[in-house]
Amino acid sequence: MSTFTITTLNGVSYAFILFLLAAGFSLTFGVMGVLNLAHGALFMMGAYFGLAIVARLDTFWLGVLIAALGTGLVGLGIYYFFLRHLYGKVPEQAVLTIGLGYAFANIVLWIWGPFAKMGMTPSLFTGVVRVGTLAFPIYRLAIVGIGLAVLILLWWMQDKTRVGAIIRAGMDNKEMTRSLGINYGLVSTLVFLFGAALAGFAGMLGTPILGAFPSMGDALLLLTLMVVVVGGTGYIQGTMLGALIIGLLDTFGKAYVPEIALFTSYMIFLVVLLIRPSGLIGRKVF
Amino acid sequence: MAAQPRPGIFTGRLFTRKAVAVPAERSVRSFIPVVLPVIVIGALLLLLPTFVPSYIQSLVTKMMIFALFGVSMNILWGYGGIPTFGHAAFFGFGGYACGILIIHGGISNFFLNLVLAIALTALLAAGLGIPAFRVYGVGASDNPIYFLLVTLAFGELLVRVAITARSLTGGSTGLAGIPYPQLDVLGITINSRSFYFLVLIIVVVCFFIIYRIVNSHYGYALRGIHDNERRMQALGYNTWLYKYTSYILAGAFGGIAGVLFAYFGGVMIPGTMGMAMTDIVFLIVILGSASVYFGPIVGAVVIVGVEYLASLYVPDRWPLIMGAIIVVAIMVIPQGIGVLLLDLWRRLIHGST
Repeated sequence: MSTFTITTLNGVSYAFILFLLAAGFSLTFGVMGVLNLAHGALFMMGAYFGLAIVARLDTFWLGVLIAALGTGLVGLGIYYFFLRHLYGKVPEQAVLTIGLGYAFANIVLWIWGPFAKMGMTPSLFTGVVRVGTLAFPIYRLAIVGIGLAVLILLWWMQDKTRVGAIIRAGMDNKEMTRSLGINYGLVSTLVFLFGAALAGFAGMLGTPILGAFPSMGDALLLLTLMVVVVGGTGYIQGTMLGALIIGLLDTFGKAYVPEIALFTSYMIFLVVLLIRPSGLIGRKVF
Repeated sequence: MAAQPRPGIFTGRLFTRKAVAVPAERSVRSFIPVVLPVIVIGALLLLLPTFVPSYIQSLVTKMMIFALFGVSMNILWGYGGIPTFGHAAFFGFGGYACGILIIHGGISNFFLNLVLAIALTALLAAGLGIPAFRVYGVGASDNPIYFLLVTLAFGELLVRVAITARSLTGGSTGLAGIPYPQLDVLGITINSRSFYFLVLIIVVVCFFIIYRIVNSHYGYALRGIHDNERRMQALGYNTWLYKYTSYILAGAFGGIAGVLFAYFGGVMIPGTMGMAMTDIVFLIVILGSASVYFGPIVGAVVIVGVEYLASLYVPDRWPLIMGAIIVVAIMVIPQGIGVLLLDLWRRLIHGST
């Protein structure tokens, strides 16, 4: 019984890491229709930026902030110089951002070397909670809390604020939104910056659990794609649903049927894509 | 009928994708602009091994293999307008099929091996094509994002399968020890020089077949689907079948490139089926230009050449250089080097016009 509880807890906390990972991507892909496959690399860079700050100043939360700012700026650069000019050219966006992802991984490799680094848990959240005879780290619970906060923030932004309304309007009809006198270009640039910053934020928060190594972007990108596609594009609650499904399935798969666990997420991903390409909840973006 | 080419238009872009109306000219005029360069390049390639060192010979072998890889992908992207992101899956699968047949199947005959590997790759493409084109829809060349994701997932799924099925594929360290092809039947032993000629022959034959395919009625129908799929449907074409068969064709030719690559390197690693490889082949096509038949060949020569130079001087910075090439290819010369070369060549032929 307590194994089951621990597995569930692990699954849920993993799901929230996935949510944080995918939230930024969901924002730019699902809402703006821009495919940024460098997202995994941005996550990885966030982890390295944050760890560099921690190594010098030894403050975890400043590291998180700098990670978010740094990757936000990198993302802004990607959008401003490249993706802005490639609207509607999806294959070109994909080729470009995959290539940039590898280039970033190479730069990080150049600066920080190939070896994996682990982040230290911030002192606020060290320690474990006892569940029956087993222990569960507090940091993972904190991740759940932070994930929930981000979810609520994004949900609120999407449904209640003017920015959210502009984005939703732009999703339906870009020209009409522009002709109403709204500076859609500025809004989408800011949204892209925010999405990239979320990747870096999540990257630093993930370091005590996932660590950081230059080639981690690939696997994380695929996870992100799965989460966003399974849950549904266009709504942040869809991303949460997708993260829960993939996170729980993956954790339970690894715990109970390890021999096929590598494929369970892929299978779900393919099945959902083939039956409902727009995801479980969500609307067809394209 | 609308897809039937109208002859006689030599103005504008000769082989461009949009120019549905222009077939390959068979008049005398096309001798100098089209046939002559092919003959010159062919002769150069035939004579090459006699006057260059062996590392250049092996570099050119690799260029030819990747050129075939790029041209096979261009059947889909350049002619059909279908942006697959899992084309490397067929390349890698063909190579793995070849290697597994030799090492575990004990099939040493080169031709049997090649035919079996092609058949298996085509079968895989036929299997994957059915679900993939379910999400492609009609006229999706403007919004192919789900097709792109599905094909990407196929490739990555195959990578995971190759990592897991260790007894067959050698796991993540790869399938090593693939020997040079055996051509004892013809009384030839294959070394690096005769392998160069073997690759040259196979690649040229494949180029010729693909050229005939894309310039046949079938190829023009494919271009028609690229331009306006609804109209092609209204004209009575079963567009799904065209797209589906072109996917299988491209997969099979990609598989041939993979087989040659397996012999060339002697080792297959799971990554050859994944996202990174697909990105390289897509780059080869975009850099060389998708709208010209020989575009991917130019792209392959440039990319493989630069990769070789990078491996000599800055071996650790190849991804960075590749990223830079991608940025240049997409942002600076989106039409591709092939179109630039074609314009230059025309200017040379026709004077200053």
